[in-house]
Amino acid sequence: MNEAVAANPAETPTISDFARTFRRIQAEIHKVIVGHEQAIEELLSALFAGGHVLIEGVPGTGKTTLVKTLGQALNLSFNRIQFTVDLMPADITGTRVILSGADGRREFTFQPGPVFCHILLGDEINRATPKTQSALLEAMAELQVTVGGTTYPLAPPYFVMATLNPIEMEGTYPLPEAQLDRFLFKVRLGYPGEDELVRIISSATGPDEAGVIPVFAAGEAAARLEGLKRLVREVIVAPPIEQYAARMVRATQPDNSRVLGDMRAPIHVEAVNRYVSFGASPRGALALILGAKVRAMLDGRANISYEDIDRGAPAALEHRIMLNYTAHSDNVDATHIVEQVVKSVRAARA
Amino acid sequence: MPETRRDEQKLWLILFQIKAARARLNFLVLQHWLFATLAIALGATALICLAAELLGPLMFLGSAVIVALFALAALIRIARSDLRSGASMAKAARIADERAGLKGRLTTVLMLADAPKPSVLWPYLVEDTYGLREEYAPARIEPRIVSRAVFGLLAALLLFAAAMPFSAIARGGRRRLPASAMGPPGRVSADIDSLEIRPADPALQPNAEIYADPATLRRLEDKLSAAGNPNRGSGQGLGKLINRAREFADAVQNKLTGRNDVNRPPINLRLTARNQDTTVRDHDRPRRPSSSASGKGGGMAGSLPGSEHASTQGPGSSPGQPPITSLPADQADQLAGNNPAGANPAVSPTPPGRAPNPLVGGGQEAGGGANRGSGSDPEHLFGEASNQPVGSDSFKIAIEAEPSTEASAPGSPGYLPPDVRVPLNQDQYPDEPLARAAVPAGDQLTIKRVFER
Repeated sequence: MNEAVAANPAETPTISDFARTFRRIQAEIHKVIVGHEQAIEELLSALFAGGHVLIEGVPGTGKTTLVKTLGQALNLSFNRIQFTVDLMPADITGTRVILSGADGRREFTFQPGPVFCHILLGDEINRATPKTQSALLEAMAELQVTVGGTTYPLAPPYFVMATLNPIEMEGTYPLPEAQLDRFLFKVRLGYPGEDELVRIISSATGPDEAGVIPVFAAGEAAARLEGLKRLVREVIVAPPIEQYAARMVRATQPDNSRVLGDMRAPIHVEAVNRYVSFGASPRGALALILGAKVRAMLDGRANISYEDIDRGAPAALEHRIMLNYTAHSDNVDATHIVEQVVKSVRAARA
Repeated sequence: MPETRRDEQKLWLILFQIKAARARLNFLVLQHWLFATLAIALGATALICLAAELLGPLMFLGSAVIVALFALAALIRIARSDLRSGASMAKAARIADERAGLKGRLTTVLMLADAPKPSVLWPYLVEDTYGLREEYAPARIEPRIVSRAVFGLLAALLLFAAAMPFSAIARGGRRRLPASAMGPPGRVSADIDSLEIRPADPALQPNAEIYADPATLRRLEDKLSAAGNPNRGSGQGLGKLINRAREFADAVQNKLTGRNDVNRPPINLRLTARNQDTTVRDHDRPRRPSSSASGKGGGMAGSLPGSEHASTQGPGSSPGQPPITSLPADQADQLAGNNPAGANPAVSPTPPGRAPNPLVGGGQEAGGGANRGSGSDPEHLFGEASNQPVGSDSFKIAIEAEPSTEASAPGSPGYLPPDVRVPLNQDQYPDEPLARAAVPAGDQLTIKRVFER
C-alpha cells in the first residue's frame, strides 16, 4: 500500500504531500505516455487548480490515451464523448425517460448522460454543433446540469478535457469564445521526437501493457483530490504579484478595443495592437494565479513568484486571445503575442 | 500559544533582516551620491583651475561655464538617480528575493506581515523563509561595503592632484619673475573706437605700451576720466558685454591663479610720435618700407602726420626714377625732432616722471601747421611757420582703417595694417611741400569758424 493511499483523507495535506502526490500521478501517466512532460504537468496543474483543459493536437499523439491514463491513475470515474455533428445536448447531459416501476407504474426518470463522471473526455469537441457544445458550459462552469427544469449537481472533482484537431477544419464548428474562456489551460500535444517514438513503439507493440497503479484508493480519491485542490487555493499571493498578473492580462487588450472604452492598458505592446481583436478576460488572470499556485506548491513554496506567472502565461492566455485578420495574413499566432506580452510586462517590472 | 509566539519571533527576525538589507542598500546609495558628488565637484574644480592657468580670459570664462554646467547637470542627474535608487522595505525585499533566489518569499512575508491570518500556509511560509535566512543576510544581498563610485572619486582626486601642482608651479614661476624680467615693452593695439578702453589683445602682457595720435589720446583721456564715473551710461552693444565678461573672467582667473594685478607693471600709454624708446620698439616690430598709412599698428597712431616714417624725395624727382624710399623711423623722428614747436606735454598721458615728449603734436601753444594738429580740430589749426626743408619729406596720408583686431591666440600680436607705397606714374609728380607761413590774424578767426561748423 502506498503512502498516498494510506493517508487519512480527513487530514489537511501539506505542501510536501501535494508535491509528492503530483509527482506520483505524473510518474504513473508516464508509464503509458512517452514524452509530453510539459503537457502532462499543465494537465495536472489544471486538475489541481480546479479548471478544465483544452487539448490541441494532431491525431495519433495520445490525447485519448493521456486522459484515460489520468483517470486510471486517479482512480476516478472516467467517460468519453466522441463529438460528432449529429450529437445532441441530451446525449451529453442525459434525459428523462419513461421507466416502469416494480409496481408497473410508469414514470419519468432522469437518465444521466456521460457528463456525470469525475473525468470527462470530449473528443474532437469542435465537430459538434454549437448547441451541443454549449451543453457542456453549465457543467464546466457550475458543476451542475439542468434537465427538464431540474438541476442535477455533479460530484466533485469534475475535470473536463476536450480535444481539438487543428488539421481537419472541414465541417467543424470552432468553439465560441465563451466556451473557450471556460477552459483554464490550453495544452498542445505535438509529435514526439525520434527517441520518444522508438520508446512508444516498444511499449505499445509489446505483449505487456503498462500497468497503471492508482495513486488514490478507491472511494478516497475524490476526497483526497479535493483536499489537495483546497490546499492549492491556500497558497499565498502577495499584492504586487496579483498586480503583475492583472497587468499581464490587461496588456493582452489592444488599445483600440471596444470593450475597454477609455481605459488603456498600462503597458503598450505593439503586437497586441496590431494583431489582437480581443484580449484575455478576467478568467485569464484567475488562470494565471491558479496555475502559479500549483507551480509554487510543486516547488515547495507557500507563495507564488513572478516566474510562476510567466511560466503559466502561454497555457493560460493563448486560447483567450482572439486574433484579427492581419494576424492570420501575417501568419502570427497567439503564442507569439503572449511571448511579446510577457516580455513587455517583465521589462516593465524590472 | 508558544507556537504562535515562535512564529511571531521568526517573522520579526525576517523583517529585521529585510530592514538590515535595506539599510545596507541605502548606505551604498548614500555613498554613491556622496562620492559621485565629490568626484564631480573636484573634477570640475581641477578643470577650471587648469583652464585658468592655460587659457585667456574669454576662453577661460567659456570653458568654466561649460564645465560648471556639465557638473551641475551631472549632479542633478546623480541626485535624482540616487533618490530613485533608494530602497524602501518593499524594494529591499524584492532585491533580496532576486539576489538570493527566494522566489518572492520575502516580498510575500513583508506584504502580508500585518494581514490578519492570511492563509493556513502562512506559518509554513514564515518557517520556510526563516529557514532560508542565511541566503538573505545583508552581507550576501549586498556584498559591497563601499560604493563603486569611490573609483570615480579617486580618479577625480588624481586629476585634482595633477592640477594643483601645475597651478602651484605656474604661480611660483610668476612670483619668482621680477617685473623687469617680464620682457621689453611690446607693441600692442588698442581699440578705442568702440569707446571702450581696453587693449584689443586679450593676451596683453605687462609693460606693454600703447601708442596713439594726440586726438585719440584725448578721446582716451576722456574715456579714462569717464570710466571713473560710475553714473556714466553703460555703453552700448556687445563690446560692453564682452568687456565686462573679460573683466569678470580676469578677476576670477586672478583669484584662482593667485595673480596680483597690483604688482603688475602698468600699461603705458604713449603718443605715436617717437621718442628715445623708438630704437627699442624698432627692434621689436617688423620694419615697414613705406611711410604712407603708417602708424596703424599703434592704434590710431597713423593719423599723426610726420609721426611715423618719413620718406625722402628730391625736388626734381621725375617718373622713371627709383621708387621713393622712406626714411628709417629713427631718422624721421630725428627730423621731426628738429622742430621744437611740436612739443606739447600737456596732453600727453605720459606717466609721471617721464620727460615730456617734445614731439607731441597738437599742443595749443606750439601745435599747429601742416604737420601738427590732428585733422580739423579748430583748436589746433594754426601753428607757427616753420622752415621745412624742401624735398625733405613727401606728403603723408592717413588711411582710415580698423586699427586692430583681437589677437587670434593669446599672446600673439594684433593685426597691423600694411603700409602701402605706390610709385608715381608718368603723369604724376611728387608733392612739393609748401613752406608754412603765418596765417593772418583776421583770417584765422574766419578759418576757425569754418572748421568749427
